[in-house]
Amino acid sequence: MAEVTLTNTRKSYGNVDIIHGIDLDIEDGQFVVLVGPSGCGKSTLLRMVAGLETISSGEVAIGGRVVNDIDPKDRDIAMVFQNYALYPHMTVATNMGFSLEHRGTSKSEISERVNWAAGILGLTPLLDRYPRQLSGGQRQRVAMGRAIVRSPQVFLFDEPLSNLDAKLRVVMRGEIKALHDKLRTTMIYVTHDQVEAMTMADKIVVLNAGRIEQSGTPLELYDRPANRFVAGFIGSPAMNFISGKVHADGLAVSGITIPLPEKAKKYIGDDVTVGIRPEHLTVEEGGLAAQVLLVEPMGHETQITVQLADNPITGLFRERLALQAGSGVKIGFKTEALHMFSAKDGHRLE
Amino acid sequence: MKAELSPRAKVMVYGAMCVLLIPFVFPTWWMVTSSFKPVSEIFAFPPRLIPDSWDFTTYGQVFTLQPFAKQYWNSAYIAAIVTVGTMGISSMAGYAFARIRFPFANAIFMVVLLGLLIPSEVTIVPLFQLFLKLGMVNTHWPLILVPIFGAPSVFATFVMRQFFISLPAELEEAARVDGLSRFKIFTKIALPLSRPALASVAIFTFLHSWNLYLEPIVFLSSADKFTLPQALTQFTDAYGGPMWNIQLAAATLTALPVLIVFIIAQKHFVEGLAHTGLKG
Amino acid sequence: MARRDSLAGYLFIAPQLIGIIAFVLLPLCLVFWYSLHEWNVLANTFTYTGAQNYRMLLEDSSLPSVLGATALFSFGLVVLNMSLALLLAVLLNQKLRGIAVFRTLFFSPVVVSLVAWTIVWGFLLQKNGGINGMLLTVGIEGPNWLREPVTAMISVIVVQVFKNVGLNMILFLAALQGVPNELYEAARIDGASSFKQFRRIMLPMISPTILLTSIITIVGSLQVFAQIAVLTQGGPGVSTTVLVYYLYQQAFQFHFFGYGSTLSIMLFVIVAVLTFAQWQLRKRMVFYES
Repeated sequence: MAEVTLTNTRKSYGNVDIIHGIDLDIEDGQFVVLVGPSGCGKSTLLRMVAGLETISSGEVAIGGRVVNDIDPKDRDIAMVFQNYALYPHMTVATNMGFSLEHRGTSKSEISERVNWAAGILGLTPLLDRYPRQLSGGQRQRVAMGRAIVRSPQVFLFDEPLSNLDAKLRVVMRGEIKALHDKLRTTMIYVTHDQVEAMTMADKIVVLNAGRIEQSGTPLELYDRPANRFVAGFIGSPAMNFISGKVHADGLAVSGITIPLPEKAKKYIGDDVTVGIRPEHLTVEEGGLAAQVLLVEPMGHETQITVQLADNPITGLFRERLALQAGSGVKIGFKTEALHMFSAKDGHRLE
Repeated sequence: MKAELSPRAKVMVYGAMCVLLIPFVFPTWWMVTSSFKPVSEIFAFPPRLIPDSWDFTTYGQVFTLQPFAKQYWNSAYIAAIVTVGTMGISSMAGYAFARIRFPFANAIFMVVLLGLLIPSEVTIVPLFQLFLKLGMVNTHWPLILVPIFGAPSVFATFVMRQFFISLPAELEEAARVDGLSRFKIFTKIALPLSRPALASVAIFTFLHSWNLYLEPIVFLSSADKFTLPQALTQFTDAYGGPMWNIQLAAATLTALPVLIVFIIAQKHFVEGLAHTGLKG
Repeated sequence: MARRDSLAGYLFIAPQLIGIIAFVLLPLCLVFWYSLHEWNVLANTFTYTGAQNYRMLLEDSSLPSVLGATALFSFGLVVLNMSLALLLAVLLNQKLRGIAVFRTLFFSPVVVSLVAWTIVWGFLLQKNGGINGMLLTVGIEGPNWLREPVTAMISVIVVQVFKNVGLNMILFLAALQGVPNELYEAARIDGASSFKQFRRIMLPMISPTILLTSIITIVGSLQVFAQIAVLTQGGPGVSTTVLVYYLYQQAFQFHFFGYGSTLSIMLFVIVAVLTFAQWQLRKRMVFYES
């Protein structure tokens, strides 16, 4: 087990920078999720840690050892690939033992370790099958089994759940988390799915266009997003944004005024974007007049989209509201839960 | 078009296919049956679809008029060596062109592809002179070396390259993380997975070598060196006219084994070709 | 890693590259070199004659008919091969019981030894052979197929088509099976008849395959040698003497190695132009192919 440290790590193809000087400390045993939209560089970053991509400049260190010029096989890492990368012509057992075979491990130890890993993942009855005979979830588990037999210092996961259906994804999410709790090995996990990031991570790193937007615990990111990008990316349904000018009595947006918290007084006269999470919307008598655009009942909660001063706003309610598209509604906000961002560069305003 | 056909349409399709089959199937039938006909019956009228009398002596004569067993062996071992050699060379080259990044790879690939541009008929004159200088005329060396190393294997390399390109890069990355060297990745991962492509390469290389005609008649001059296609045309009477029934017996012996193998393994033949998406 | 990988790359391609240089590129240079020389095998003289062999190309009175026969052969072969292959592929693309057996049988001549196939057809096409025998039973007196210019040309084309049409048939069939069924279903809902579906959906969808295979087939037809050598020896007259056969005669029967080399260069140029055209087409077809 080991910590992973990235120091001013860069990746460029020709003149184009894909990764712009990333600094990141991952503690020993931590479960870190790299999350971001597609093309943000999260997979490239992971592959640089794995040694599958060269590092243009800066340093990657695993367990205190700089690994820039070390072959993937000598980095003491294991990787779970997006499409599992199981060798189709080998049985589950051979797949899992394959890396040990090439490290001169004795036959008896290989089978011992394979059996141990298979036991943990519930793969024991499947050891003699071929990958094509397995379901998606089973393949996923074999891919993890192949990684854990080696007891590496770091596990790397590259969007491992993206090929599973929604239900199975939830199950596997739980299994990976349970595995981490059991092994307490450092894990770096790449996904574009912020729900995966929120539910699994000890620490989330939000990447955008090759830069870290913010890193922290899931709830830190949710409650105190550092900028508009993170605010919009974390949380589903996504945060609502309304832009306007701050006045003494609130935010003025095309004829209406949205009440703001006390701290907004500092920004009177500034252009500000206000962020409102859907669950912080209320329906109340004294609220602002809005028109209902869409009602989506989901049983346990109801999602409503309203038109408020030219902005479509989404709200999430635990109670079942008797509303219909086209009707009017009075909307209020939990003022103390509003987020404010600079309209200029999107950074968080306190 | 894939809709279920009406019964009448089905009958029409079956009928059309049966009529169309005649020129595909009848010659083989005629070859086999005529090889058992005595000379007197060869051109009998009306034509006999089944011989009136069966003459098995033609098959004996095939082996006495020519060193046919030797010629059979020549064709077989040459085709076997060419097939194995081509599989080795083209899978290695195809793998490197598909998977390994090295300087000038593209330029070299274009040079190799020139082999597709230059049919062996174009270079037969200098090749003859070349092998004459090397003292290899009237040996089997030209029939082995040229297909393995020259133009015919380029097509195989191309097929293998296309296949390896389609192989998921993840598998090799997994293998790298698992600690395999480049050579091991090739032998343990890429090669075992390329079996379908290798099979179609093997089939087409074998057929190509088995059917080679121009090269043998250019390079070989003594009967015990001949390969089958060349030997088949040598069953002639004193006036140079073909001894049909014996020639057909020899043709049957040449064609039938391959045909039988094909019918047993036809799925691999046809699907291999369809996957290859190309032919030589 | 990168440097070790480069080394591995070079080692992997070395046999192929050396082979290509030794057995293709070097001979190609030599063939050009020879074409500039007069080579007398009997007197064992090898004299530089510059462009004389190329001038001979223009003066060679047989060459126009050889090129004519080559063009006719290639054209006839491609047209017949393509239409038959398409017809068979469409028939085989039906959902019918036992269709695989038909597919196997149509494909079977491809694996029959080429010379064996040609010999049996030569036998069938004799004046008193099987085909004329069949025709006579229904009262038709057939021609002496291989001894009359027109029927000889038809014969060599047809024999070659039946031998190899199975290859193109399979390629077309694969292309047809690659057309999503939804397109036909959509067309049917749009009210297109079977023929319309064929014309407006199927043909355009497989047109890249048709174009590419026709060029491959033309290039292949330029290399047809054994069939001509066995069936007609280029006759009667020079009516079936195609370029490859003419090249063989000049070089290896008459021992005009210099002139034979010039003819090789000509064959090379034709094949190169066609192959180049194929690559250009392929590039433009990427849209369809992907």
